[in-house]
Amino acid sequence: MTKRSDLHKKNLQTLFYPKSVAVVGTNKVKGTVPGDIFTNILQADLNGIIYPVNPRETHIGSVKAYKYVIDISDPVDLAIIVFPSSVCDRALEQCGEKGIKAVIIISAGFKEIGEKGLEREEQLKAIAEKWDMSFIGPNCLGVINTDPASRLNASFARKFPAEGNIAFLSQSGALCTAVLDYAQARNIGFSKFVSFGNKADISEIDLLYYLMDDEKTKVILLYLEEISDGPGLMKAAKDVIEKSHKPVLIMKSGRTSEGASAAVSHTGSLAGSDEICDAAFRQAGIIRCDNVEEMFNIAIAFAYQPLPKSEKIAIITNAGGPGVLTTDRAIKEGLTLAEFNEETTKKFIRSLPSTANIKNPVDVIGDARADRYHAAMTGAILDENVDGLLVILTPQSMTDIEKIAEEISKIAFSSKKPIYTSFMGEADVSTGIKILQKHHIPHYSLPEAMCKPFASTLFFNKLTQQKIGDPVVFTDVDKDAALSIIEENLKAGKTYLPEYKAAKVVQAYNLPVVPNELAKSEKEAGKIADSLGYPVVMKVMSDDIVHKFDVKGVVLNVNSREEAEKTYTQIISDVNKRMTDVKIDGIHIAKQVEGGTEVILGIKRDPSFGSVVMFGLGGIFVEIFKDVSFRVAPIDKESALSMIKEIQSSEMLMGARGRMTMDIDSIADAIMRLSQLAMECPEIKELDINPLIVLKEGKGCFVADTKIII
Amino acid sequence: MELPEVKKKVKKTIAKVLEIEESEISDNANFIFDLGADSMQSMLLIAAFEEEFDIEMELEKAQEVQTINGAVEFINSYL
Repeated sequence: MTKRSDLHKKNLQTLFYPKSVAVVGTNKVKGTVPGDIFTNILQADLNGIIYPVNPRETHIGSVKAYKYVIDISDPVDLAIIVFPSSVCDRALEQCGEKGIKAVIIISAGFKEIGEKGLEREEQLKAIAEKWDMSFIGPNCLGVINTDPASRLNASFARKFPAEGNIAFLSQSGALCTAVLDYAQARNIGFSKFVSFGNKADISEIDLLYYLMDDEKTKVILLYLEEISDGPGLMKAAKDVIEKSHKPVLIMKSGRTSEGASAAVSHTGSLAGSDEICDAAFRQAGIIRCDNVEEMFNIAIAFAYQPLPKSEKIAIITNAGGPGVLTTDRAIKEGLTLAEFNEETTKKFIRSLPSTANIKNPVDVIGDARADRYHAAMTGAILDENVDGLLVILTPQSMTDIEKIAEEISKIAFSSKKPIYTSFMGEADVSTGIKILQKHHIPHYSLPEAMCKPFASTLFFNKLTQQKIGDPVVFTDVDKDAALSIIEENLKAGKTYLPEYKAAKVVQAYNLPVVPNELAKSEKEAGKIADSLGYPVVMKVMSDDIVHKFDVKGVVLNVNSREEAEKTYTQIISDVNKRMTDVKIDGIHIAKQVEGGTEVILGIKRDPSFGSVVMFGLGGIFVEIFKDVSFRVAPIDKESALSMIKEIQSSEMLMGARGRMTMDIDSIADAIMRLSQLAMECPEIKELDINPLIVLKEGKGCFVADTKIII
Repeated sequence: MELPEVKKKVKKTIAKVLEIEESEISDNANFIFDLGADSMQSMLLIAAFEEEFDIEMELEKAQEVQTINGAVEFINSYL
């Protein structure tokens, strides 16, 4: 952590637990942001002293007002600035003079309005740095801490939420108020609630590190509109998960692929910002959510129930259809229906009617009352083959909904296995749902919705038990050689490195390149082909040609010296027919590797996450199916192997249906070397190794074609 | 109109709109930060200046003026 991050962590403790708060720029007008913030703090019953600051008023809400913050004689821990943006710098400067270290700047009119606002925001940052202050905002809704030790509502939200163990952080203030309303209706409480707006000073990363050690927080939810420091966010999330075992759920808006369209390489065009974001989140252990509902569905599972130990679930239902729907979704999410042991089966035979289905999903039949649910649930929960229960209820005329809800709550209270519920319907089941929510039993309006939270909590539990390896740093690489090729070309104003140059860069990182040489004449072509051995591949080399196939610049299966000499002239003539004014550097001749499987590897620099490595099967798998996987560099061996296994066509490499098992370890090695190249040569914007020819197990792989954009 | 006279009229107008004593208004006072004008009062001030000096100011630029001295200079450019 940097010095400033350390300072933020310290100042955030003061910000969340202030003993004295000044509201700078507040007024007496109800229904305005400056006025309501002061009222909200008073109404939340802050565990501390509050000072209104207003240049004109002698008092606000019967509390003595001060003209300037520096006029307050006692120390002030936290200042909330609600002045218009044009004078926020003066207000912040005075806060600095007063010795205030924690500030929330609610005011809008900064980066979000353009250049002038950005300038103002930069001024605020400079003032904060000068006085060792930390501030949240500007352009935010504010901060809420429900902990009775603080009870701070420094926001203009309508509600003060119930106390809970979920922290919610959001870049959007408007979403915050909607979330508060949503959560209140579901009896969901919060530990901390933060709208961080333009994150000019304190960012989501600082907040994650603060919440890592916050005893009141068990689950962290984050809504982001833009990621300014991807690697920093990944590291913070990894630290939170590893050190404090708290899940991090992120809803990231902007699932568009703009930017990818302009890319030259395969990697560039396949690695859209959202695909990279998905991969980066998965790599860091972050659970990505698509919407507010899904986020809270998963959050309540984490917040209220124990984590599942395995994917084996039991479904208990009083209706067949919903049971089947839930089973389908469970399988899709990677869960399995547990097979009950003999003892459980006997219990079910004794306690359930003969018409009941005693196999998983257990159907206790439409006329089931609380006693039948009790028998099915206790039987299943005590079975060592079961690691979680999904309980479904549909309201029939004899269903004692409230009693069943109480029964579930009692069993869940004493169970170490997670229990989720779905009482289907709305009006009839509402009191039952309230009972479940009161006892913090996760409830989902649709039964299928129970499956993703179960899968997510299981994923997280397994993740926290894994030991994450460090990326391998290869010492047999020549970083200087790679950098000098890149620099030389950059100096010459060249941004595209054709194969014969690009091959030297990857060769410097000890990636096995197929034996090759550049021929500058017909005779030289024959000589080189002879020395390499047949068959050879011949390709045109030119800084002006990116897609060699398109201009007939590639010929395969050249089998003799005479053929090589003829092909040399033929390629040059074919290319010249299709492209005028092209400068041809020569013909690249390489040994043709036979009998392998083609895969593609690539690098792309992403503006949010930095260097990203891509892997996929070559040919149509990459062109049409876009069957590829991504990881943010640096990549350890486990991650490299998981990249290979993750693609849908991975079985083609693993010896499926009588095929040869290919050399997976050599691909993983190539991925890790490429990852190191990406980290050490950040000038590389895009790189394609297409194809990397992988031979059978133990025989290695070869780079057959490379291109680099710098 | 001479600058001291403009300043006197500016202070008188501000005192009237913000309902404060003229003596409380220093030359460098900021309408918002020092005199407590809110956004509505800032707009009323612009309208009052226009009426007092019988001028029509460019609204966007007028909103950027936030001090007494700034207002005197700005209004003077219209006289």
